Amino acid sequence: MNYGIVIKTLGKILVLEAVMMIFPSAVSLLYNQHDKVAFAITITVTGLIGILLSRFPAKTNTIKIREGLTIVTFAWILASFFGALPFFLSRSVDSFVDAFFESVSGLTTTGATVIDNVEVLPQGILFWRSFTHWFGGMGILVLMVSILPALGVGGFQVFKAESTGPITDKIVPRIKDTAKILYTIYLSITVLGTVLLIIGGMSLFDALVYTFGSVGTGGFSTKNLSVGAYNSVYIDIVISLLMLVSGVNFSLYYLLRKKKWREVLGDSELRFYLGVVGTSVLLIAMNIFRNVYGSIWEALRYSLFQVSSIITTTGYATANFDEWPTFSKVILFLLMFIGGCAGSTAGGMKSVRVLVLLKMIKREIMKIFHPRAVISVKLGQRALSKDTLDGISSFFALHMFLFVLGTLLISLDGFDLITSSSAAAATLGNIGPGFAAVGPIHTFSKFSHFSKILMSILMLLGRLELFTVIALFSSKFWREDI
Amino acid sequence: MKALIVGAGKLGGKLASQLSGGDTLVTVMDSDPEVLERIADHLDVMIVRGSGMHVETLKELNIEEYDLVIAVTESDETNMVICSIAKKLGCKKSIARVRNPEYSTQNELIRAIMDIDYIVNPELATANEINRNLLYHYSLYSGDFAEGRIMMLHFNASSLPGFVGKRIKEIKNINGILIGIIWRNGEIIIPRGEDYIMEDDVLYVIGKKDNINQLAKTCKTLVQIKYIKKVMVLGGGRIGYYLAEKLISQGISVKLIEHDKERCEYLSENLNDTLVICGDGTDINLLNDEDISSMDAFVGVTGYDEENLLMTLMAKQLGVKKVIAKVSKSSYVQVIEKLGVDIAVSPIDITASDILKYIRGGRAASVSLLLGGKAEVTEVIAEKDMWFVEKPISELALPKGIIIGAVDHKGKVIIPTGNTVIYPGDRFVILSSAIRQKALEEFFRSF
Repeated sequence: MNYGIVIKTLGKILVLEAVMMIFPSAVSLLYNQHDKVAFAITITVTGLIGILLSRFPAKTNTIKIREGLTIVTFAWILASFFGALPFFLSRSVDSFVDAFFESVSGLTTTGATVIDNVEVLPQGILFWRSFTHWFGGMGILVLMVSILPALGVGGFQVFKAESTGPITDKIVPRIKDTAKILYTIYLSITVLGTVLLIIGGMSLFDALVYTFGSVGTGGFSTKNLSVGAYNSVYIDIVISLLMLVSGVNFSLYYLLRKKKWREVLGDSELRFYLGVVGTSVLLIAMNIFRNVYGSIWEALRYSLFQVSSIITTTGYATANFDEWPTFSKVILFLLMFIGGCAGSTAGGMKSVRVLVLLKMIKREIMKIFHPRAVISVKLGQRALSKDTLDGISSFFALHMFLFVLGTLLISLDGFDLITSSSAAAATLGNIGPGFAAVGPIHTFSKFSHFSKILMSILMLLGRLELFTVIALFSSKFWREDI
Repeated sequence: MKALIVGAGKLGGKLASQLSGGDTLVTVMDSDPEVLERIADHLDVMIVRGSGMHVETLKELNIEEYDLVIAVTESDETNMVICSIAKKLGCKKSIARVRNPEYSTQNELIRAIMDIDYIVNPELATANEINRNLLYHYSLYSGDFAEGRIMMLHFNASSLPGFVGKRIKEIKNINGILIGIIWRNGEIIIPRGEDYIMEDDVLYVIGKKDNINQLAKTCKTLVQIKYIKKVMVLGGGRIGYYLAEKLISQGISVKLIEHDKERCEYLSENLNDTLVICGDGTDINLLNDEDISSMDAFVGVTGYDEENLLMTLMAKQLGVKKVIAKVSKSSYVQVIEKLGVDIAVSPIDITASDILKYIRGGRAASVSLLLGGKAEVTEVIAEKDMWFVEKPISELALPKGIIIGAVDHKGKVIIPTGNTVIYPGDRFVILSSAIRQKALEEFFRSF
């Protein structure tokens, strides 16, 4: 293990985070609120430690797989730690555990909060919460790769460990250019979203916060009632679409720009994702029409918003879906596991994995009838290798195992089964709200410190797609001899 | 520049690594996902799974945006077809690897018909390189430039009296030569005057031919051979075939040892005046029967690096003055110098140098890769509109890791100092470390 380069790179990440904090501190200066002190202290501390670490001597600049995984996991832990300081120092939360939970929830684009009344928070803090969604969504290290030179080949190791989905491909030969293109697309969607929300009557501040929350598929809000507070059809639809758009693989937008319509429309993950969204919207709309809402349009509007919000793992709410009929709730619960597309900012298991799992099940059934058949599992025209398939199956198994383990440990706090299990699912899948006592109108403040730390770990695991983090905690990883 | 390399084998990988170190955007295509995976883990290139002959795949890549396609798959025919298709689809230039001797006589026609810009034949190039080495008088030859007026040799530092333990500027009697590259524990060092020379260093020395000759005379271990008349070639593959053909045309007698009976028959049919011996080349009795110790040179060009290395070492022990081994795996380069084999030639490096020279176009008169591609030696002919002419070298602000080794001004060789000026028409040699590839490319681009 090349510790020098790991520490050096982590230092650069902290410097980058300190730079990112300049934006919320500008907001707090603009509104002249008490949180400006918290930001000033955090920026100084984070920046200084970052600069100090980035001076660390490294023998070589090579980042191999081991270094890549270590950098990514520790970068997220450190970024969450320092990102928690403003919450703690401004006394927006009671304890450092709460601050850490809030910070992890922001960076991992979960959007679960421990703050019962967000409307009293200073603007700078509100901005920081949502801003972490924005760069956490696409990835802190991807951002670093795109703006800082000289990670070279190591950049790809880091990029692979941080971006979502079972297969990571570059869209252009250089990793730096790939990262740049992705961020450019991301930035364009962000600007578009902000403009559309301002047209809908939001203030610039609110428009930014909600755009960050939607395109990062995070879910932090400035209102206790989330997007429901605006009660505007236009805003509901704009945010629904923003979330859906951010749940799509970003490299497809690059193909769109290259005018490759056929490949985009033929993308099997996209079709599956849109199919799931469409079916779920219709089923829920039929279920809540008459039961909850009087008109079919209203049912569709709320159904679309909630489905988009849950499948992209954003977690915004326009209605208290906890009061919807059980059938609708179960659909939403299942969507929590599916998640968005690979290469998007969304969490969950990712549509492509679910799609491949379904195809594998189909293959197994075929094999019962034709034991000697050779059937390749294809994604589009591309047959998936055994390694990829094995990876996907074990990912599913591990995801389920962590969900059950999480539920078990959270249940020590004594809440009911639905609360405990949906809290585990909502944090592991980076969604945010769950059902019952963690439903859309509740927060996570009621849990014990133990559960909050556990859920922070689940969120990190979910964001970094399990294996990146798990590998680091296996004893084999740290042994130099293998 | 954007380049597509089809075929991620040894040569494809080497080219990808050599090109991507600079400013070229490299895409590597292969049908085997595992090889691609390995490349992606070590190089900053884009990988694409697929066949280069598949038009759809090329179109999806936007092949018309590419400046160069290099087809280096296993099959000659596939390579030619890939080049042809890629050119038709709008790729600007194409390079194909074609190695079958039956094609080598009709390269021009194939190039014209298939619209291929450049054909590389690694085996032929290797045979040429070995031939050039054989004709040379010194056993540790590295290259010559400016029509032979500038020469480069490499020495073990310990074999030169008065070198080890000194700073370069303290060494006496090295007028007219320059220590251009030091190879120390697997690292390339482009030294400055303050650097020390250590015991185990290998020194690459460049300079005027006479001065280099003088230095060579002081060397303890260097053996001089006046003329080579008898050569034993181990391995009758394509390299062996080309080499025998070349040597015979120069009146050198060749004994070619090959174990495959059918191949032997083919060789004796097609090679006139060559003594083809069918047998196991690792059998010492056979070699003794063929009187190996009376040979002037021994060349190992079988398909196995290990066999080539060990057999050339043995030949050396048996008293053959000059031994050359073909070594394809670049991982072996690190130890070869220490083993005692005079020269190891790598078809991969030679081919890669060829292609790099082609890509750099007319600016580079020759490019050679040293030490498995860790260092590059490029000969350039200065032209009037180049940015660095008619200026003292000290004003050029050459980046670290690049050094101008020697300048040939109207037939007079100069070892440059800060005040040396390069004039149009001069030939000069640039030595550079591969890690500084980018700097070198910048130097070239600003021509």
